[in-house]
Amino acid sequence: MRWRFVRSVAGKEILSTLRDHRAIVSNLVIPLVLLPVIMLGLPLLMGGLFQRETTTVTEVAVEGRAHLPADLAALIEAQNAVLIDVDDAVEAVRADRMPAGLVVGPGFAEALASGTRAEIAVVGKEGNLRAELNVGKLRAAIDAYRRALVAERLVAAGVDPAVLEPIAVVTRDASTDAERSSGQLAWLIPFFIAIWTLTGGQMTAIDATAGEKERGTLEVLLVAPVRRAEVVFGKFLAVVLFGLSAAVMAIVGFILGGTVLRTIFLPMLGDEATGIVSMMGGQLTITPLTVVLLVVSSVLMASVVAALLMSVTLFARSFKEAQTYVAPMSFVLLIPAIALQFKDLIGTGGFAYWVPVYNVMILMDDAVKGAAQLGPTLTAWGTMAVLIVALLAFALANFRREEVLFRT
Amino acid sequence: MIEVRGLTKRFGDVAAVDDVSFDVAPGEVFGLLGPNGAGKTTTLRVLATLLHADGGRASVAGHDVAREGEAVRRSIGVVNGGMGLYDRLDGREVLHYFGRMYGMERGAIDRRIAELDGLLDLSATLGKRCGEFSTGMKQKIVIARAVLHDPPVLFFDEATSGLDVMARRAVLDFCRAYPGEARAVVYSTHVMGEVEELCDRLAILYRGRVIADDTVAGLTEAAGEADLERAFFTLVRRSGLATEGVAA
Repeated sequence: MRWRFVRSVAGKEILSTLRDHRAIVSNLVIPLVLLPVIMLGLPLLMGGLFQRETTTVTEVAVEGRAHLPADLAALIEAQNAVLIDVDDAVEAVRADRMPAGLVVGPGFAEALASGTRAEIAVVGKEGNLRAELNVGKLRAAIDAYRRALVAERLVAAGVDPAVLEPIAVVTRDASTDAERSSGQLAWLIPFFIAIWTLTGGQMTAIDATAGEKERGTLEVLLVAPVRRAEVVFGKFLAVVLFGLSAAVMAIVGFILGGTVLRTIFLPMLGDEATGIVSMMGGQLTITPLTVVLLVVSSVLMASVVAALLMSVTLFARSFKEAQTYVAPMSFVLLIPAIALQFKDLIGTGGFAYWVPVYNVMILMDDAVKGAAQLGPTLTAWGTMAVLIVALLAFALANFRREEVLFRT
Repeated sequence: MIEVRGLTKRFGDVAAVDDVSFDVAPGEVFGLLGPNGAGKTTTLRVLATLLHADGGRASVAGHDVAREGEAVRRSIGVVNGGMGLYDRLDGREVLHYFGRMYGMERGAIDRRIAELDGLLDLSATLGKRCGEFSTGMKQKIVIARAVLHDPPVLFFDEATSGLDVMARRAVLDFCRAYPGEARAVVYSTHVMGEVEELCDRLAILYRGRVIADDTVAGLTEAAGEADLERAFFTLVRRSGLATEGVAA
């Protein structure tokens, strides 16, 4: 293979794609913006909303306010709530006049005084996040009141309240800081990188194969004394570059977006909201090693996707037909990404790092959690390298098949 | 310059090219005349090493098409009617790209572009993106691309298809002037008038077979007709391969 021919083919494809404004937007701008918005903006938004709901004074509809003991009312009001007398608490919540309510029956105070079972209803809307948050505040206040009442009665009866909890269960978290802060949305990073290598590379791949066939330029190119392998490898490099550029922009967007959002917005939130942000993936630990692992894995992912794109799109007679072939490929990438969510159940020992695509997704997940290890990393990268060679050989074989090249 | 012997190319059960033989000498414009589906493009694709022959042999500029593909491709240029170009590249960039594909250095490509500008008047096309070209401009760059490396053999395949009268005339004049003494042109078309004007000799292809091979005068005389179009139908009918339409 002669490098100057490969470079010329790649250079032409790169120049052609760079002059396509649609490709620039989809390759560079969208991944730069979208990943930080979803990975960091969404948890921060939710954290902010949680913060607002916990600090905002909530109006609670109370039906039977006269029967509510003053000390229970005080506990509820301590949760940033103000009690509003209403005739029908259920109706008030249903009509969204108030996010939560209480129904206190006429016998509530008497039942408490006599030591029999007293009933109080908490009113909310299931599935409504704001209502559930405020119902939680009411339940917390009532529970605190209940526990105080139980303790008071046990002491009055000469019994130590500790008798109710003969076993104290303590949970000790064995996860590392990176694992703890990687959050529930961490799997989105490898998924997005996989999707962006496909999105970023597909325009170039289709244009360089089915597009060239449709325009009639492929035949003219192959009439020149350039070898098929040089054509295939040159086009492959251009597809990898654009797939990779999209993935790298997604990573850059994630790092920059994360820094800006954390620096500016996180200090504005309280401790509880910060906890939610962390749980959902808003505080991933990105070290230089993480970046290296993500970039190398992205290069391999982009190369597999590029070789696959080249093989598939060359079969198409036209640009449009090639687009219909490419569309299902995102589902192919979706399957390992979904499996990644269940990797704790599936297990990552043994076979998992030998399964191409899935293995680098696990590796990326490991990387952002600071859990990557040398052996599995080399296994995953080696397996991907073998697959890339096999797919490139398949693409080259297609470029040599008359029925594929002249399928018009 | 070109020697074709018993060339055969099959697609499944269909023989697109069936035992075709002809020769083209230096300085000649040789015509391949036939209707659509006669096997003209398939023949040229085999000669250009894009397709592998199933039988027979052929050589171009002294190189065997089956064994010396790269040498053959260095010796040929192709002008086709598709006029396919890269819309987002300008004329100069297209020519530089193909120049590099022929192993030419940047300076040599620029000098050749300057020469071809004198022959084809490329000035309006060199700095303009191909997506903005008129049909005539496209065909100028397609011709320039084909002869950039000064090949000894040039193939024209339905090269005037879709061209207006001015652009068509430019193609025909260039084709007539190109061979000189040391180069050869194979001109494939279904247009009788173009063959009569351009070709020193021609082969009539019908259903993949050469049914006649001679000068225009020789063919009309052999057919006993006054012009090439009438001679074509007479020779096809005599070949025994004629469809009902031709026989009528």
